[in-house]
Amino acid sequence: MLAFVARRLAFAVVTVLVAVLISFLLVHASDTTPGAVRLGAGATAADIAAENARLGWDDPLWQQFGRYLGQLVHLDLGTSLIDGRDIESDLAARLPVTASVAVLATLLSGLVGVLLGVAAAVRGGRFAKAITTSSGIALSLPQFWIGVLLVYVLSLQAGLLPATGYVPFTTNPGRWLDSITLPVLALTVGGAAIVARTSAASMREVLGAEHIRTLRATGTPEWRIRYVHALRSAAVPVVAVLGIQFIALFGGSVIIENLFALPGLGQASQAAASSGDFPALVGVVVVATVVVVLVNLLLDLVTAALDPKVRAA
Amino acid sequence: MSAPQPLPDADLLAPDKPATEPARTRRVPAFLRRPGGALGALWLVVVVVGSLTAPLWVPYDVTTQDLANRLALPSADHLLGTDPLGRDLLSRIATAGSLPLLSSALMLVVAFAIGLPLALVAAERPGRTERFISRATEVLLALPATVLLLAVIGIVGNEIPLVMAVFGVLLSAAVYRVMLGVAQSVRQRLYVDAARVDGLGSLRVNVRHVLPAMGTVIAVQGAQLFGIGILVVAGLAFLGFGPGEPAPSWGFMINDASSHLFDGPWLLVPSGLVLALTVVAANELADALAARGGAGAKRRSRKQVRAAAAAAAAAQGESGSEQDAVAQPVPDDAVLAVRDLRVSVVGGPDLVTGVSLTVRRGTVLGLVGESGCGKSMTARSLLGLLPDGVAVSGGSIIFQGTDLVGRPEKELRGYRGSRIALISQEPMVALDPAFSIAAQLTGPIRRHRGVGRGEARTIAAELLRNVGIVDADRILRSYPHQLSGGMAQRVCIALALTGEPDLLVADEPTTALDVTVQAEILSLLRALVRDTGLSVVLVTHDLGVVADLCDDVAVMYAGEVVEAGATAGVLDEPRHPYTMALLGADPHVPDGEPVPERLASIAGTVPSPGTWPEGCRFAGRCLFATDACRTPFPTVPAHGGGLVRCVRVEDLALHQISWTPEEAGAETATTAGGAR
Repeated sequence: MLAFVARRLAFAVVTVLVAVLISFLLVHASDTTPGAVRLGAGATAADIAAENARLGWDDPLWQQFGRYLGQLVHLDLGTSLIDGRDIESDLAARLPVTASVAVLATLLSGLVGVLLGVAAAVRGGRFAKAITTSSGIALSLPQFWIGVLLVYVLSLQAGLLPATGYVPFTTNPGRWLDSITLPVLALTVGGAAIVARTSAASMREVLGAEHIRTLRATGTPEWRIRYVHALRSAAVPVVAVLGIQFIALFGGSVIIENLFALPGLGQASQAAASSGDFPALVGVVVVATVVVVLVNLLLDLVTAALDPKVRAA
Repeated sequence: MSAPQPLPDADLLAPDKPATEPARTRRVPAFLRRPGGALGALWLVVVVVGSLTAPLWVPYDVTTQDLANRLALPSADHLLGTDPLGRDLLSRIATAGSLPLLSSALMLVVAFAIGLPLALVAAERPGRTERFISRATEVLLALPATVLLLAVIGIVGNEIPLVMAVFGVLLSAAVYRVMLGVAQSVRQRLYVDAARVDGLGSLRVNVRHVLPAMGTVIAVQGAQLFGIGILVVAGLAFLGFGPGEPAPSWGFMINDASSHLFDGPWLLVPSGLVLALTVVAANELADALAARGGAGAKRRSRKQVRAAAAAAAAAQGESGSEQDAVAQPVPDDAVLAVRDLRVSVVGGPDLVTGVSLTVRRGTVLGLVGESGCGKSMTARSLLGLLPDGVAVSGGSIIFQGTDLVGRPEKELRGYRGSRIALISQEPMVALDPAFSIAAQLTGPIRRHRGVGRGEARTIAAELLRNVGIVDADRILRSYPHQLSGGMAQRVCIALALTGEPDLLVADEPTTALDVTVQAEILSLLRALVRDTGLSVVLVTHDLGVVADLCDDVAVMYAGEVVEAGATAGVLDEPRHPYTMALLGADPHVPDGEPVPERLASIAGTVPSPGTWPEGCRFAGRCLFATDACRTPFPTVPAHGGGLVRCVRVEDLALHQISWTPEEAGAETATTAGGAR
C-alpha cells in the first residue's frame, strides 16, 4: 500500500513537471517576447531587447527553467507582464471559485450518474434503453449551451437563481450556493451522462460475472448481491472515469465561468491568453495541473480501497 | 483407466475448423441499419457537404446587415432568423461549419498518427518499451487540456487549426490507451502468431493482420473524438478565441445569444441545435459502430424470460416427451430425480430435451459429453441459475420430493447453498475479487447457520481445514487474486459446504486446473462423498474422472442423454456408438496394455441447437448409421436401471461391432488426442 502511494505521488510530481516543461517550451516557441508584451505596441526594438535582457529571456533555456522551478518550490509564480500583479496571490484567490464548481459538479455527476446507471443495469429493458439514449444526447451537448439554456429557464423565466455573479462562501454561504448552482448544473448534465453510461455498462458486466453466480448459488439475497458485491466491483471503472471527468469538468468550468461572470481561473486564463501574459499563462497551467493531479491522487486512493489487487500491486 | 485425462473436446475432434471471424463483407454496413447510426451518418454528411459548399449556396453574405430585421424569427426571407445585427443565421451557421469540421479532422489525423503507431509498437514490445510509452501517455492524459489550449492560444494567437493540432497531440494519449488494448488482444490471436512464425516482417504483420482487426475500434474512437473536437472548437470560440467578428463561428453565436436572452432568445436555438446535433450525430455513429460487433447476440427483456418461466410452470403438469412416453419411476432413495427436462432459449431453439436423471443418496452421477452438448445447461437448471434468456421450458426437477421447476425465485433461493450447492468450472473467477476469503465464507455461514461473527469465522477455518487447507488462518485473510487455482477451488468447495447441502452440483470442477491439482481435488470430492453422505452431480468431459469418481453416468449428446447407467456397465460395455466413440477417442491407456498407434476420432462436430436432425442426433457422425436412425424411435432399457438411445443397439451387440481407429479411418486421429 505504501509503495502504491509513493508511486502515485511520484507520478503526480512528474506530471506537474511535464506541464511546466510543456508550457515553458511553448512560451519560448512563440514569436513574441515578454519584453514586447510588457512594453506594448509603442516600444522600440532596442527597448524591447533591453527589457528582455532584464527579464532573463536571453539566458540559456535550461537556466530559465531551473530558475522557474526554484521559484515554484517557494510557491512563487512571478508577476504579470501586463499589470505587475503577483500571479500566485491572484490565482490563490481565483482557485477556490473554479475548484468548488468543478468538485461539486464531479460529485453531483458521480451521484446522479451512478444512481441512473445502476438503475439501468438492474432494471434493464425499456428503462435502460431510455437512460442510454438520453445520456447519449446529454453527453453530446455543449456545456456552455446548456448553461445559457439554464440561465434562460431558471433565472430569466422562473427567476429562481441569479444569472451571473459570484458571492464568496465566507461572505454568505447561502448566496454562494445560489451563485454556483447554475454553473454546477450546466457541467453536471454531461458529466452525469458519462458516469451513468460507464456505471451501467460496468454494473451489467459485473452482474454477469462468474463470482456473482457463485453468490447466487450460495443463496445470497439479491439486494446484497447487487448493492454490496456487484456495486463494489463495478465502482472501480466508475472511479477511473470520475478522475477523467474531473479534468474535463475543470476545463468546462474554465469555459463557463465566462458565461456566469465567475472570478475564477477561467477568466484569468482567458485574459492571459488574449494579452499574451506568459507568466500568468504558465501559472494557470501549473495551478490547474496541481489541482487535477491532487484530485486524481485522491481517487487513486479510493480505487485502492475498493480493489485489493491495486492495493497489493 | 490410469490417470484422469480430459477428452479431446469438440474443437480438436473437428477437422481443421477455420477461426470464426465476424463477417466483414456485407452490402449495407451493419451500423447503418441502426436508426441512430443511419441518422447520425446522414446528418454528418449534410453538415459536412453543406458547410464546405456554403459559399456556393448560402442566400446572404455573412456580413450583410439588415438592421431593420434584427433578431428576427424564422421567415421566408431568413429561414433560421437573424442575429443582433440583422445578419442571416442560416448563411452564418453554414459558413461557420467548415472551421470546426476541418480542424477537428486535423486533430483526429494528428491524434491517430501519433497514438496508433505507438500502440502498435508497444503491443509488439511488451516490457520496457510498452511501460515507458504507457507512463508517458498517462502523464499527457493527466494534464488539464482546456487550460493548456488557452495557453497555446496565448502564445500562437487565434490559430484554431494549429491549436487543434496541439489538442490532437494530447488526445493521442487517449488513442494510444484504447488502441493498445485492442492491439494486444489482436496480437494474441493465433493467426497473428502464425503469421509471425511464418516470418512475416513486423510492419507487414501490423498492416496486414493487426490493423484490419482494429478497424471497428478505430472508427468508434474516431467518431467520438471528432465530437469532442467540435465541442472544443466551439468552446474556444465561445470565449472569443476563433475567427473574430464579423466572421461567424458556432461558439460565438451562442455567446451572442447569451447576451440577448431578453430580447432575442430564439438566437440560442439554431446555432446550439446545429452544434449539438453534429456532436450527437458523431456519438450516435460511434455507438452504432460499436454495437456492430455484438449484433448477433440479441438481448432479451426480463419480461420475456419471466413469460417463458411461467410457460414452463404451466407446461409442467401436462408435459410428456415425444420420445420417452413412459416416465421413469422415482426410486425411494433418490435425492434428485430429473424427468424429461427441456431447457430452451426464450423464443429460440431447445438446448436440452427429454433429459431424465436420477441421483441416489450418497452417490455421484457423472454427466459426460463433448463441449456444447448441454451438460452445463442441465446442471445449471438444477439450481435455477440459467443464463439470461435461457429457461426451463418443460419437465420436472424433483429434489427431495419437491418439484423445483416453475418455483418463484425467492423459494429457489432457499434451496441454493443450503440444500443444493454449486462448484463452478473456473475457481479463479468464481470468488469475488473485492472481498477477503473470510468475508466470503462467513457471510453464507452466518446466513445458513444463524451464528455470530466470531463463531462463523471458527466454522470457516474448520471448513477450510476440511477441504485440505493447512494454514486456514492465512487463507482467510487472503484475497482471491493471492490464491493458486487449486487453492481457490478448495475455497470454492468450502464455500459450497457452508450451508451443509445435500446435493453438490460440480460443473467441470477440475477443467481449469493443473493435472496434479486435478487429482487432489478429485480425491477431496471422493472423501467428502464418503464421509458426509453428500450426493454429487459431476459435469465433466473427462472419462477418467467418471471412472474414478462416479457411481452412475449419463452420456449426453446434442442436448439429450444417449446412454445412462451404472458407471462400470456403461464404460466397460458401451452400447451407444457415441459412447464407444468417446471411449475410442480417449487417450487413457489401461495398465499393462500397449499404447495404441492411433486414437479413433469422430468426424464432424456436435450439431448446434436448432439444427438437430429428426431421429438420432448422432446419426450424421455415426459410422453405423442407417435409414432407421433418421426417424424417431424409443429409448431401450440397458445397464440395469439405465437406458440407451440407439435404434440399432441390438444389431451392434449381435455383431460385436465396436468403434475402432481403422474403421474411423481418420488421418488426424493421432493428433486429435495428443494435442492436449
